Amino acid sequence: MQHAETTQGTPFLEARHIGKRYGGLHAVRDVNLSIYPGEVIGIVGDNGAGKSTFIKMLAGDHQPTSGELLIEGKPVRFAHPRDAKQAQIETIYQDLALCENLSVMDNIFLGHELTRNPVLRLLRRSKMHIESRVLLDDLGIGIPSTHELVVNLSGGQRQATALARVAKAGAKLIILDEPSAALGVRETRALLDLILRFRSQGKSILVISHEMRDVFEITDRIAIFKRGELIAIKRTKETTPDEIVSLIIRGRQ
Amino acid sequence: MTQSVTQPDRNAGGFNLFSFARSQEGVVVFLLVALMIVVAVFSAASPYFFDVRNGMNIGRAISIIGIASAFTTLLMIAGGLDLSIGAVMNAAGVVAAMVLTQTGLGVGGAILAAVAVGALVGWVNGMFIAKLGINPLIMTIAMQFVVRGLTLGFSASASKVIVDPTFLAIGQSYFHLGPLAIPAPLLWMLLAMLVLWFVLRFTLFGKYVYAVGGKASACRRAGINVNVITIQLYMLSGIGAALAGVVLAAIQGAGIPYGAGSELSVISAVILGGVSLAGGVGLIEGTLVAVLLVGVLKNGMTLMGISSVFQMVAEGLVLVGAVTLDRLKRRL
Repeated sequence: MQHAETTQGTPFLEARHIGKRYGGLHAVRDVNLSIYPGEVIGIVGDNGAGKSTFIKMLAGDHQPTSGELLIEGKPVRFAHPRDAKQAQIETIYQDLALCENLSVMDNIFLGHELTRNPVLRLLRRSKMHIESRVLLDDLGIGIPSTHELVVNLSGGQRQATALARVAKAGAKLIILDEPSAALGVRETRALLDLILRFRSQGKSILVISHEMRDVFEITDRIAIFKRGELIAIKRTKETTPDEIVSLIIRGRQ
Repeated sequence: MTQSVTQPDRNAGGFNLFSFARSQEGVVVFLLVALMIVVAVFSAASPYFFDVRNGMNIGRAISIIGIASAFTTLLMIAGGLDLSIGAVMNAAGVVAAMVLTQTGLGVGGAILAAVAVGALVGWVNGMFIAKLGINPLIMTIAMQFVVRGLTLGFSASASKVIVDPTFLAIGQSYFHLGPLAIPAPLLWMLLAMLVLWFVLRFTLFGKYVYAVGGKASACRRAGINVNVITIQLYMLSGIGAALAGVVLAAIQGAGIPYGAGSELSVISAVILGGVSLAGGVGLIEGTLVAVLLVGVLKNGMTLMGISSVFQMVAEGLVLVGAVTLDRLKRRL
């Protein structure tokens, strides 16, 4: 494991020898990775390389069978996605995990609804609509109405809704699984700008992507997965798309 | 309250007839129109139909199905299904009757015991479905057998007669509102629907009912405890069936262990009211109008001398017609 590790300070999240077995199958094996505040790390690799399983462990959606996770130097265990959210890790999955039958506002506040009266827990709808509007405008996200049902939105608008939810949650680490897969050119541009903006706010970002151009534009480091292992971490400035592609396909050079 | 400069934008696209027809509110309006047409037809066909007394008869006739439907509407919006409703109704009636006659717990104790039975059956359903991922159809059919068998066993297959006047009043008394004599069961149904309408529309729990029906995995990932909500909804469905059973026993003056299961009438009313079996959409208002529509159809047909056998056929055809229209309108 040759870590090109020169980043300073305590990492926000550190994965130590993280592994996941399903019976005899090693989906992820002995991954060591540190993510620092204000850093964007790209995760690349072929299908079945273990990228999704790895991030699902960071998100609390799957539990590792070996190794440990540290948040700001302290060991943690995530038994449920709730635990990861508590540790200020927010994840946007490939399928975006939106309730399409609900409104933009409902989805932005899902799991964090504002209520009054601790017994009846009445929803504070107009306050949530106003906060959603402010948030969307602030993020420069073009969604005409927070009342609109997600089922009626475009791919980019759905992505934006998921991003607004993450921004609202005030996460320190944002994990994105294939964020540009369903997006048009303009929508992808808006997404990349938003990721860079999150970085400038000191958030850490982990992004799985197949789009080499996007990866090289926004990341600081690139982690290459192959057959469940993290085979290399490269500083984006010190590598080339050709080198990364060759690592993905052939493994070690 | 909203002093902010930014106003929440409402209905930015303006009113759209097609999207309204596809919405859950559209279904309710459509059902209301159908109800008015049916009422008009029967009023023309029978001199006895359009009459306050007859209206109240319809109200009492639909109240049992109405109470159970209201509770299970929440469960079905969340994507669940409960086929043990009919069995729980009978069990609740028998339990209430037995507590009344064999213990000194009184009417309150009888109702509590019946509700506890419904809650317990719902809890068992919910635990197996939420925690073990058992198919709701299979699980609740299995519980239907279990509950029906236990009810017949404990009652020795005999009806338990109820003589307590306070208990009988639950099903047989009237509330007088000016010249109007409202049957108590109708009032219980409307009360149940009002409470559940409020829960669905204004509370966090109601929001989660729709959210879980929309996408349970998204709710889990958003940190919502989906299992707890699922279990609570099966318990609510069981409690609703038990309350319906209590009212039914009070109307009949007995807890009858072998009554025909009414779960299919309940579920078809909920679906007719616009709840999708896939979950995520539906309104209590829809269930109310659907229950009314079926009740009016049956009453009207009875007044016109159509036998109850054909009324069953009509009830089935109405449901088929409703779901067919539901499919077709998706193509608008």
